[in-house]
Amino acid sequence: MTPRVRISPAALGVILVLLVIQVYLFETVLGAVLDGQRKVLPGAFGVSLALTAICLFLAFRSTVEHGPKD
Amino acid sequence: MTWWRRAFPLELAEEGHFSRREFARFLALVSAGFTAGIGFLWMRKKPLEGASDPESGLTGQPVALGMASDLKPGESRLFKFRDAHDACILLRTSTGELKAYRQTCTHLGCAVRFSGGRLECPCHLGFFETDRGFPVQGPPSRPLSAIALETRPDGSLWAVGELPKPTLENLDRRADCPKEQQLQERQEVKA
Repeated sequence: MTPRVRISPAALGVILVLLVIQVYLFETVLGAVLDGQRKVLPGAFGVSLALTAICLFLAFRSTVEHGPKD
Repeated sequence: MTWWRRAFPLELAEEGHFSRREFARFLALVSAGFTAGIGFLWMRKKPLEGASDPESGLTGQPVALGMASDLKPGESRLFKFRDAHDACILLRTSTGELKAYRQTCTHLGCAVRFSGGRLECPCHLGFFETDRGFPVQGPPSRPLSAIALETRPDGSLWAVGELPKPTLENLDRRADCPKEQQLQERQEVKA
């Protein structure tokens, strides 16, 4: 019997935390842009891209073996 | 079969098909959406509607606002600056200073008005002071966009550009505390 592979609850929790950070980052960046401070955009985009890369990695690659191996 | 079962024909087995991994992938896609949103803001050269654009500086087309002496203390007048949708308000404070701000409230974008010596947003009762457009009461947390004014030798008043919003870098701290400024001036006189 092959093991069932699932994403771990910890990985899901990390993704949720990263998403909360993304929401806060987007809100902050939008406020800054509305105030005319566009200099923050390249840095914010880089940070957001890194967070998304981590989220995608966890969502597609993070696995934990669950159930009987044989 | 109960009415709500017929209205929402979902089987429990089907509900269970939404796995933890699918949920994680959905969250990751939402995260990618936020990244795309920031990228869109970065690539978009035109400022958002109602947004401040101090980078354009004083290079914009000046707008005539009539004679400076037309406006009495406590009075205000509306005008359009960047385009037909860019509503701004010109006012003369009780101390006689002329100030102009973009009329868009920094909370949810309602139009502010000059009332009782303060700029007031009637939607959620936000108030801004008239000297620099800082919020003083209510939900707004960011200052209004200020418009640069110029009085020409013939007495005519012109809107000539946008002023950068006060930040921690460009804030004139002496203006924040007039008493401190007076003390500093006295110390300079004594020295």
